[in-house]
Amino acid sequence: MAGSLQRQPTVTPARRLAWRAGAVVTALAITTLFLALSGRDPRLLADLVVRSTVGSRFGLEDLALFLTPLLLTGAAVTVTGRIGVWNIGAEGQFYAGAIGATAIGLFLPGPAWLVLPLMAASGIACGMGWILVPALARAYAGVNEIITTLLLNFVAGLLTTYLAVGPWHDRVTGALASTGRLPVRIPEIWGVVHWGFPIALVIVLALAWLTTRTRWGYQITIGGANEQAARYAGIPVRARILGVMLLSGGLAALAGVFEVAGTVHRLQGGLANNFGYFGIVVAVLARGSCLNVLPAALLMAFILNAGIVLQTQQLTGSAVLAITGLVLFMIAIADELAHYQPVTVRPATVAPVTVGKEARP
Amino acid sequence: MTDLPHARNDVPPPIPPGTPPILQLQGICKYFPGVIANQDVSLDIAPGEIHALLGENGAGKSTLMNVVTGIYQPDGGEIILDGYGQVFAAPQDAIRAGIGMVHQHFKLVPAFTVAENIHLGWRDTPFLASSKVLEARTRALSERFGFSVRPDAIVADLSAGEQQRVEILRVLARQARLLILDEPTAVLTPAETRDLFRALRAFRAQGNAVILISHKLDEVIDISDRISILRAGRNVGTYRTADCTAAGLATTMVGREIVRRDLRARAPGATPIAPTPVLSLRGATCRDPRGVETLRDVTLDLHGGEILGIAGVAGNGQRELTQVLTGMMPLSAGEILLDGTPAPLADPAAFARAGIGHIPEDRLRSGLAPALDITDNMALREYDRPPIGRHGLYDRTAANHLAQTIVEAAEVRVPDLATPIRNLSGGNQQRLVARREIRIASRVLVAAYPSRGLDIGAIATVLRYLTELRDQGVAVVLVSEDLEELLNVADRIGVLFHGRLMATIDAATADMETIGLLMGGRSAHNGTPHGGSIPDGPTQDGGQA
Repeated sequence: MAGSLQRQPTVTPARRLAWRAGAVVTALAITTLFLALSGRDPRLLADLVVRSTVGSRFGLEDLALFLTPLLLTGAAVTVTGRIGVWNIGAEGQFYAGAIGATAIGLFLPGPAWLVLPLMAASGIACGMGWILVPALARAYAGVNEIITTLLLNFVAGLLTTYLAVGPWHDRVTGALASTGRLPVRIPEIWGVVHWGFPIALVIVLALAWLTTRTRWGYQITIGGANEQAARYAGIPVRARILGVMLLSGGLAALAGVFEVAGTVHRLQGGLANNFGYFGIVVAVLARGSCLNVLPAALLMAFILNAGIVLQTQQLTGSAVLAITGLVLFMIAIADELAHYQPVTVRPATVAPVTVGKEARP
Repeated sequence: MTDLPHARNDVPPPIPPGTPPILQLQGICKYFPGVIANQDVSLDIAPGEIHALLGENGAGKSTLMNVVTGIYQPDGGEIILDGYGQVFAAPQDAIRAGIGMVHQHFKLVPAFTVAENIHLGWRDTPFLASSKVLEARTRALSERFGFSVRPDAIVADLSAGEQQRVEILRVLARQARLLILDEPTAVLTPAETRDLFRALRAFRAQGNAVILISHKLDEVIDISDRISILRAGRNVGTYRTADCTAAGLATTMVGREIVRRDLRARAPGATPIAPTPVLSLRGATCRDPRGVETLRDVTLDLHGGEILGIAGVAGNGQRELTQVLTGMMPLSAGEILLDGTPAPLADPAAFARAGIGHIPEDRLRSGLAPALDITDNMALREYDRPPIGRHGLYDRTAANHLAQTIVEAAEVRVPDLATPIRNLSGGNQQRLVARREIRIASRVLVAAYPSRGLDIGAIATVLRYLTELRDQGVAVVLVSEDLEELLNVADRIGVLFHGRLMATIDAATADMETIGLLMGGRSAHNGTPHGGSIPDGPTQDGGQA
């Protein structure tokens, strides 16, 4: 009998899920341990976190508000990942979308049923515009999209702050912090939860279908897995990269539109609240599957929501980042460990072949 | 192991009697889930010998060598080095013990220079190492071991043969006494192969040993002193090379008699050669990005029901020719005619729809998406047509059906269709690609080196695919570096030299010598250099990629 630990090439989804659940539990256990070590009562905090996230109506509403942008930015990063491209600029496209929507909302008076779709269209167009140059550079000149999309985030963030405290600042209060309140808003469906939430859900489900069940999705999968094989099969890889990146920019921008028109109702600096970057975390957790974006975004939203609760208990805001990092770290380890299985093989009971004889074949 | 042949006076240099083997394996076993990779393998490698390891794909050669080099730990058996038992916990232990392996796929850093690659991860590398120092050290090593390399060259710019020299030098620099080479000649031109063998013999003359894994029987007989044959994970025998014949080895290797039939003979009822060509090139010329002509004024006709062989030293325009014929590369001049009318712009999808299949040269890099499952890979050519592609959709069920059909036609056993295709062996990947392309090749099949890296059984299967296709009236282009294969299978043979089609000759009357002369750039009749007008031919190696 010979037993050993061996790496399997493939992992069943159930097995991976089990390992990941274990990873999240471990991460939470470590968090609890450190909270206890710093003199807090983990049980009290845990109770508080549960009660104010999933244990109460307000908590659930907040969770949905966090989930809405995370679904969209997570999907934005996931779709580009499927063709082997990393859109690190969801944060910037989020801002661009918010700016585009605010421009219409502030300066185009009209009924909500007309203005809201225009805001969305304008926001999406701005987000696509924001990623257009990196996308063209990536598709046709091979310029690394990670750098270009990332750097444009800072430009977008600063542009937003400039508009909010400069030309578009609130004339009513005169405070140099944000634009005035938008005259239209996305209608709420449940407490503070607006229509953006179900729309984001539907969009993610549609993307999951689009990426796995259509010819376009297949072409993208092949293009992402092996660009040379895609060219060999006559798939227009450049056009697909361009298309996917534009779609990604539009998705992130839509998150910005929802945030400004549904949740915050005014444009202000820091509006994106790192949702673009957390979208990368969601995409990493989702492992390229749009369907997985749903649970991944839910986990992320829960952590963000819990972070707010912890901050009310005089914990630093960096704790959220630390917990996020810990969860990611543990999941990365679990994903790798899931490949290993103890294997026992019984040597076949075959008579040993005589060897080493110098014979004539 | 009982009787060890201690005195070996048939191999240079004479080894004093009683010298223990450099390496002795006793009853090595290695198991993978559901697979016995090695079962009770015993083997001894004497100092001063070149020991060839033969076996079909999947016979357990690579696993055994991974055990010897410390990549795997054996599940049973012993490794004895110079008479002392050894346990290699990691590859570093094996390197320290003087065992060096050169893998089939080179493990070099392409962006680094030769000198940097040689010194990477080496304990003897000076702590403060300027590139000048490294290059000087590399030059010294290169002279000491007789492997000429350019120390300051970037590895990515080197041909496969040059990269291999760097790999070997890297291993030798770490004081290897036992050199393991996995399919070393698969990527080499004949001239490079000769150089390699010369260097291996010099290495042997110093009392070192070489284990050579190869499929090419003639080479093995040429270079080795003894031959061990693995079959289904077991050592079925070790023989003195002087006692072996290629046919005998082949039989032992596959465990059955190989039937060599004249593959040019048509099966009864086969479609005759079509009078009008299906695909033609007229003055086809290609230029690479540097403006060098890689294909020069090639004119040829492909007729249904015949196999056109393309011979030539690798890098003389074969890649360009296959890519032009399959719509992957646009022409700089000339035209390509499909059924007598100019073919559309270079569009591989349109060519595929027109019934032109393509077994590409490097299947893992350009014919498959290694990380994706078998289904997605098998759908690559038919995803855009019913039943898989309808109304812009991708029907997974239909794709699974297609994959199942191809897998069955290729007679490949797979665990399930969701397995990533990179987990299959090279031979199985090749069969699947061949079957996938044959399905769409209703008019033309372009097969580039379809037998490269395959064992004899798999080669026979793939060649059978080609002849069956020919009998169905399809035009087949077979690019190969194996002249025997071309002479066996092809009806006509075209020879490429410096991108020029030197001649197209009738395979039935062709002889090796004529083709050899043409491959060297001499025309068959008077032996004068044909390529004399070419000012500066393209590099002859793979460097024009």
